[in-house]
Amino acid sequence: MKKLSRRLVTLALSGAILGGCISALTASAREPYDVYNYDRWGEAIPSQAGYIAERAVSGYDLGVGAFESPSDIFCDHNDIFYVVDSGNDRIVAVDSDFREAVRVYDSFTMPDGSRTKLKNPQGIFISADNDLMYIADNENARVLVCDMDGNVQREITKPDSEIYDQKRTFLPQRVIADKAGNVYIVLGNITTGAAMFDPEGEFIGFYGANRVQPTAEIVSRYLTSLFTSEEKRARRARNVPTGITSFDIDGDFIFTCTSSSTQTTDTVKKLNAAGNNIFASNDYTYGDYAPMYDTSQNKLLAPAIVDIDIAEDGNINCLDFTTGRVFQYDEDCHLLFITGTLAKQVGGFDHAAALESKGENLYVVDSRKDTVTIFTETDFGRIVHKATAYYNAGYYEEALEPWLEVLKRDGNYWRANVGVASALLRKGDYEGSMKYAKLAGMGSIYNKAFEGYRMEFLKKHFGAIFAVAAAVIIALLALGVAMKKRRRALAAEAAVPADADIATLDLNKGEAAEALQALEAEAKADEEAARLKAEIAAGKTAPEAKNEEREEEQHDDGPETR
Amino acid sequence: MMDLRPAEWVKHAITHPVEGFEDMRWKKSGSMKIACLIVFLLFLSEIASGRLYGEQFKVTYDKVFNVVPYITSTIVLFAAWVVGNWSICTLLDGEGTMRNICVYSAYALVPFIAQRFINVALSHVLIRDEYVFMQAIEIIGTGWTLILLFSAIKSVHQYSFGKTVFAIILTICAMLIMLVLLVLFMSLIQQIFIFASTIYTELSYRIRV
Repeated sequence: MKKLSRRLVTLALSGAILGGCISALTASAREPYDVYNYDRWGEAIPSQAGYIAERAVSGYDLGVGAFESPSDIFCDHNDIFYVVDSGNDRIVAVDSDFREAVRVYDSFTMPDGSRTKLKNPQGIFISADNDLMYIADNENARVLVCDMDGNVQREITKPDSEIYDQKRTFLPQRVIADKAGNVYIVLGNITTGAAMFDPEGEFIGFYGANRVQPTAEIVSRYLTSLFTSEEKRARRARNVPTGITSFDIDGDFIFTCTSSSTQTTDTVKKLNAAGNNIFASNDYTYGDYAPMYDTSQNKLLAPAIVDIDIAEDGNINCLDFTTGRVFQYDEDCHLLFITGTLAKQVGGFDHAAALESKGENLYVVDSRKDTVTIFTETDFGRIVHKATAYYNAGYYEEALEPWLEVLKRDGNYWRANVGVASALLRKGDYEGSMKYAKLAGMGSIYNKAFEGYRMEFLKKHFGAIFAVAAAVIIALLALGVAMKKRRRALAAEAAVPADADIATLDLNKGEAAEALQALEAEAKADEEAARLKAEIAAGKTAPEAKNEEREEEQHDDGPETR
Repeated sequence: MMDLRPAEWVKHAITHPVEGFEDMRWKKSGSMKIACLIVFLLFLSEIASGRLYGEQFKVTYDKVFNVVPYITSTIVLFAAWVVGNWSICTLLDGEGTMRNICVYSAYALVPFIAQRFINVALSHVLIRDEYVFMQAIEIIGTGWTLILLFSAIKSVHQYSFGKTVFAIILTICAMLIMLVLLVLFMSLIQQIFIFASTIYTELSYRIRV
């Protein structure tokens, strides 16, 4: 009986261990790419994954038939997902586990009772404040505002306004609404920002236009335009910024992203209610620091951020179409994780189109694979998120433990070194803070830590420092006195012959020559004596003798050249 | 009079910006060995200020250490200065020999080098708020060296004030020309090397097949 139980226990244990090994293997085998991050020099280094691809969901899996070029995804306040299935002209509502479709919206009831269908819808937004659904109905050139049962409340079409260039079409791509019910629409062919409508559907104006990046070409064009005539100038191409590609709203702020192969400024913006960019002053790079080189096209591919999403904890997720990667930043735009790639496997993308986050998951829509890929936070990701949340809220000391845990798992994680340095500085462990600040390359933190460390050092060793300083000063003074004495003695010795020289020279000019000759003879005699001495003395004293000789020679030179 | 050992001459030249180098010239002193040592110290000071600074002032890229930029920015630059000045001043009736130009210019560098080492040491004691002290030392040291360098060129060639200014401007131009030529030459050598290595690779493939 005992034997049997023991056997059972060993069996269960070995099974558990084996199972653990296999699951670990499959977990690491799931990513069809090498996970990397950037170190403090901005160089790519291997890192731990913050998210791993859990599964890819197609329309079949949800029981509604295949998606066709889905272009947007949105998660509302009831945790229901809405996938914009553009090719099938419908919106598919999916439950919070992303297991089955709960509803398919393909036709809507207009206020007058007639039915209307979508045509290539591109974007969706559900307002938590008034439970209204906003649909960017691209090829019908309208934005539908309807309730959750599909009853259209309002239809926003091309505004009849002087501000809006009537020659341009109205092609809504993305739509959001703020708390007050104002509607913002990204239009495909408008570069002056998002069109803004009031809750009644009246056009207000444009919001959050990008700036023109002052490249060399644009500067030269401006300079030539100073010398060209009015008519010529009118016919020239105008400098227009790239239009906004997508946006998301988080409380009072609207985050926009711009995908452009030429523009590198304003790719990600955080706009306040007045439309001013809060990120304008920081010069962060979004996407990869070095552009990706495509060997098949022999081309450098610049990042193209096609969608942006603000997670509940304030992290900013950016979807890069060029590399198929999701770049996750914290609220201060520090890079946390890079997830995804261009690949056929689960976790890779072909034509990444849209991005949404909910809790610990990321949902990425691929409009060529016609799937939604679900990424789940790893243990490492959870710890980093916890630490970042504490850190950004100013709870440096609470963030210390998670940051140390992060460092245990990935010693190269740059943000963790910054976090630990800040926490230790706050705690008063200046030496530790200096160490981590050095690792993080954070001169500002190091400076503060060093200030504290220096103060402590001085306080602790004040007596010793004082004693050493006093001893050094006394020693220096003593040395000075000794030197002075010696110099005076030397000067006295040297002064006797010199004075004699002057005296003899002064006597009269006739005797001067004689005196000089006498001096020379004396010098020669001295030289010979010295030489003799040197010869007598062993090789040990020879250099000294030579020195003496040289000194005497120099003595002789002086008066002669004068 | 002025019977100084070589090391004392360095001190004399540095502490007498106006007459120091004139005295040196008059006494025909100045040691090439010491000059070489000073240039080597300049090289060390460049490395020290690039690598050993306190973390609060400078964050150094410590993944690789490449000595070539340090050599270029000190020894090569100094050599270019000496050669450039010599070639200009032979045309401008300067009296200095190449050796003297080298020795006097090297002596003039001492305050600059001292400033570098002092600042590297101070950067481990001071914090950012006290950076002004280091700045002051840097300005004094560099300014002193500039004055000495001017005085050195003036006395080594026995020039007037205006002519020295003119000669120094021309020297800087000559240095630029020399460095451009040097870069050009290096890239040409590189091309030849690549050409030769390509031929070698080609041949080695042919022979193997």
